[in-house]
Amino acid sequence: MLIELKNITKEYDNGGVVTKVLKGISLSVKEGEFLAIMGPSGSGKSTLMHIIGFLDRATSGTYLFDNEDIKDFNDDELAYIRNERIGFVFQSFNLLARTSVLDNVILPLTYSKKKDHINLATKALEAVGLGNRLSFLSNQISGGQKQRVAIARALVCDPKVIFADEPTGNLDSKSGNTVMYILGRLNNEGRTIILVTHDRNVAEHANRIITIKDGEIISDEHNLNSRKSQMIEDDQDIELK
Amino acid sequence: MRSYLLQAIRGITHNKSRTFLTALGIIIGIGTVVLVFSVGEGFKSYINAQVDAFGSNTIFIETSVPASTKDLANGASDSGNVNSSAMNAVPVMTLKNRDVKDVRNIPNVKNSYGASIGQEVVSYKGISKNIFIFGADASRFDIDKGIIVLGRPYSEEEDKSLAQVTILGADIVSDLFGDTDPLGKYIRVGNYNFEVIGVYERKGSSGLSNDDKQIFIPVSTLQKKILGIDYLFYAVVELYDNSKAKISALDVSEVLRRNHNITDSSRDDFKVNTQEESLSVFNTILQAITFLLIAIAFISLVVGGVGVMNIMYVVVTERIGEIGLKKALGARNKDILFEFLIEAVLLTLLGGIIGILGGALFAYIISKVAESFGFAWKFIVPVYGVVISLSISMIIGIIFGVFPARNASKLDPIEALNKE
Repeated sequence: MLIELKNITKEYDNGGVVTKVLKGISLSVKEGEFLAIMGPSGSGKSTLMHIIGFLDRATSGTYLFDNEDIKDFNDDELAYIRNERIGFVFQSFNLLARTSVLDNVILPLTYSKKKDHINLATKALEAVGLGNRLSFLSNQISGGQKQRVAIARALVCDPKVIFADEPTGNLDSKSGNTVMYILGRLNNEGRTIILVTHDRNVAEHANRIITIKDGEIISDEHNLNSRKSQMIEDDQDIELK
Repeated sequence: MRSYLLQAIRGITHNKSRTFLTALGIIIGIGTVVLVFSVGEGFKSYINAQVDAFGSNTIFIETSVPASTKDLANGASDSGNVNSSAMNAVPVMTLKNRDVKDVRNIPNVKNSYGASIGQEVVSYKGISKNIFIFGADASRFDIDKGIIVLGRPYSEEEDKSLAQVTILGADIVSDLFGDTDPLGKYIRVGNYNFEVIGVYERKGSSGLSNDDKQIFIPVSTLQKKILGIDYLFYAVVELYDNSKAKISALDVSEVLRRNHNITDSSRDDFKVNTQEESLSVFNTILQAITFLLIAIAFISLVVGGVGVMNIMYVVVTERIGEIGLKKALGARNKDILFEFLIEAVLLTLLGGIIGILGGALFAYIISKVAESFGFAWKFIVPVYGVVISLSISMIIGIIFGVFPARNASKLDPIEALNKE
């Protein structure tokens, strides 16, 4: 099992008023899964993703990543896992402004021990079809291209899992489809994808859909008609090289 | 390390005018530090020139209005401490050629000379100039460092026989003779003709007098033929061992008191200054100026440092989303800390470099102004000054950068991300 959550809770204490955001989440994710976490805003899905993504710690419960309890990890070790083992894709892209596409993708490599940064970053950008945009500044490209740069950045350290938090939220449907197509292809190459969205259409790309409401999992279904496989079978006219 | 540096460079080049304004306090502070060091060195070079003018290992005898008769001499109007005869209208006429010879009997005294100064019209082939005429014993040539580039010094015999011979300062040569050879020519000094026997090397000014604009003749000739006096303005005594200068100065005072029939030292009509004493005056001035300027520099550096800290706090707030992102991508706390710390240090270092250039420029201007006033002032930017300045600016960057940088490194990645 790659990810194993047992009875995870998260509480926020706002001056004596305790808000329970997650109320005992248990969840297992196998390597190679394409999982969508669905739910309305305020359901706790982002908090859950932050905890799974090592950006936040649970109030109680156990989290085993690759069969290791992350309670035993200190801040530097968590930073190392975020760097080497997982990749993030955010709704608002979060690229460094006034910085080239290539340098944006190199950024996570500067925190790793990997060598040959330019070569690795170039390969990651080629994988998302932006091999010809290396020296463009991040504000000179379209929204869809920005999100593809963000995917290349998530990919560059060769992680096991990619977390995508509303990756199509700021995109038009065509660019959104391209992004989902790329995520689907990465999944086909064996990478685990965990997608957080409130949009059923986007969630439909995944093979497994978990729905959260008020901090609890209310459904966990296998999606046999994943749009991912449809897209790839259709061999859509995606503008990738 | 390289990536920290790139991030930092990106940071400080982002808002150039803000960077400059932030660095301004550091620029002024470091500029002042460099200015102090450079001008201090220039001042020292000037003092050294001053010391060299009287040769090394020397003590200086000047005339002085006795304390007890000072009130009479000054009239009732002035009660100031300045009692050097040169400063007062009344000349003290008691320092004689005999005194200069008698001090040579003191064991530590190697040599001595007396000097007087007059002013007279000097002319050659229709060109006339009113200039200072410097008269000294022939022994001066053994003590002073002045180099005669053409001709020869006058001899003791010429001094005794009131010979009308002269050595010219460099400016006088060019003023009166242009490019022609002055040696063997006769110039008119007052009512006498003087043979030019030598030319001094160009010296530059060493304070109030400028040797290049004077002519030099035997002191006896000056006293008897030009001024009609029998006294000296001052005398210089050369010692074997400068470490015994204080004792020798007392010995010299003894001799002069005996010659001048003075029993009470408060009635001395002379003052004996060792080099150490003359230098200590300069050093006191130098130290006072240095202290004042360093204090200003210190205040400026602290203010500049606080400015840097302030801006770094602003920068951290501005880049809060970026910090969150970097943490999500695997940056450790210390990576973030270093990024901001290096940015702060780079900012202060940049200020330091500009400050060094600015301070050096100011020091250069001061040296040029001093030169134009005739001071023998050298422009020096000491290496230690540059090293100290760069170190100070880096230390300020660290001290005032570490708190904002720590703030940045301790940010919660989720909160930081959500602020984007």
